[in-house]
Amino acid sequence: MSDIPILYSPGLSGKWLKYIAIAKISYFSATAYVLNLLAGSLIILIRAWIYTQLYTVAYTSYSLEQVGGLTVVMVVWSLTLTQSFQTSARPYASVLIEEEVKSGTLAYSINRPYSYILFHYFQFMGRVVANLGTNLILGFIFTLILIGNISFTWQGVLFGTITLFFGYIIEFLFSMIIGLMAFWIEDVSAIRWIYSKGQLVFGGLLVPLSLLPEKVRNIAEWLPFSQMYYVPARLLVNFDYSLLHKFLITQAVWVVILGVATYWTYKKGQKYVSINGG
Amino acid sequence: MYQLTVAKYTRLTFEVIKSNILSAMEYRVSFLVQVFGMLINDSFLVLIWYFFFQTFPKIKGWTLEDTFLLFVINTINFALVMIFAGGARTIASTISKGQLDYFLGFPKNVLWHLSVSKTDISAIGDLLCGIAIYLIFVPVTLEKTLWIAILSVLSGFIMYSFIVLTQSLAFFVGDFENGAEQFFQSMLTFTLYPQSIFNGALKVIMLTVLPAFFIAAVPVSLVQNFSLPLFLLMVSVGLVIFTLAVTVFKYGLKKYESGNLINLNM
Repeated sequence: MSDIPILYSPGLSGKWLKYIAIAKISYFSATAYVLNLLAGSLIILIRAWIYTQLYTVAYTSYSLEQVGGLTVVMVVWSLTLTQSFQTSARPYASVLIEEEVKSGTLAYSINRPYSYILFHYFQFMGRVVANLGTNLILGFIFTLILIGNISFTWQGVLFGTITLFFGYIIEFLFSMIIGLMAFWIEDVSAIRWIYSKGQLVFGGLLVPLSLLPEKVRNIAEWLPFSQMYYVPARLLVNFDYSLLHKFLITQAVWVVILGVATYWTYKKGQKYVSINGG
Repeated sequence: MYQLTVAKYTRLTFEVIKSNILSAMEYRVSFLVQVFGMLINDSFLVLIWYFFFQTFPKIKGWTLEDTFLLFVINTINFALVMIFAGGARTIASTISKGQLDYFLGFPKNVLWHLSVSKTDISAIGDLLCGIAIYLIFVPVTLEKTLWIAILSVLSGFIMYSFIVLTQSLAFFVGDFENGAEQFFQSMLTFTLYPQSIFNGALKVIMLTVLPAFFIAAVPVSLVQNFSLPLFLLMVSVGLVIFTLAVTVFKYGLKKYESGNLINLNM
């Protein structure tokens, strides 16, 4: 056996190069249609505009300077950021997996020489980078015009970026689990709606957690929904060391729990999935 | 003759929708999951506004009760469009994939056929949710029920026309699937918030580019305090936007080039 030549053995870097190539392809395909890309940012701008009106009226009606430690400027910036982060993650991995299952293309994508989970992760990150650039630049300029400047600290930017990175991992893992459920039930759209509304209520996408009633806030802060985009946005607009420790630990716990759950669901799902004819 | 055509198309619409729903009910679990999934989904939206109004009980005179009424009308008009004309939201993708050929071979109106070709089953959940919010949170009277029904149909008609108008842009710009969907989502976004906050340029947008004002604020205002001029204005807007949508679709259809895609619909 020892005389059989090893024709090709990718090293560690070789293995990762293919994932980087997957991310690049995903990036370029997301940026191919400029009009489509810009239309994706349209909704963020409209929401930023609405939030400015809504919270300016709300704060002035009750003559409030701060609610839950946040001024009206911070609230609007926080919501624009969470919206930009969340919109950049679309389409969700769960949508793509569901399509693969329904169309039967899963037969090809699941058998290729790569990790199926990592393939989707790098594809997801390629999309995120493409969309995030446009969304943040436009969202930033628009919010600046609407409500004015906010002072970002270097700690806020640094830890906001780090927690955003982990936030996207949590988003991806959660979405992956929902997508993998399609191996059993094919149509997972209903689960996805409930998930996205969980994000809306407990993820600080419409009302920052600091503005929620205390009991609700206490629960929401431990849920994975708030760890995706609210955490980085909160650190960016009003950095607080005491919150940072809590956020980092909560994020780490959710990354581990959801990571294990994703791997387990995938392994179980492989045995149950039935491939539709293409 | 005209009345006969309208009656024929109305009867046919109900037949096609019935068949769409019955075929979806073949997969009983999937059907129930979609309907009840949407019910839970809509309940979350109500919940977030409940939390919001705990912190800010009144926004320029707008209260949680007004938001309930807004949700009743919006979930019902959205549901009517998605149940009876769910295919309208796929016009852009049908055009860009060259799949319109399938509809061109039939003797019936292309836009009508394309619109009724798909029923969004989850919209039944929206309809149930709208009715449930009305029965639970809004004081029910016969007069109010009638006006909600009339205004939901009328605002649904405006919503449908807007979808057709934006989706038909795909005839001229190529791939506009995401763009048209974003236009629709942007318009829907306006219908979720307390309508009292909109003024200035935002209100101008809601009155023109994204006609959300006539889908959300006007129907709520008419249910609360009926005004004949406002009602007539809403009817006029509906007729204008519908005429515009049909004209753009017809003009675009003349420019349509087949993708020569061989498609088997079963």
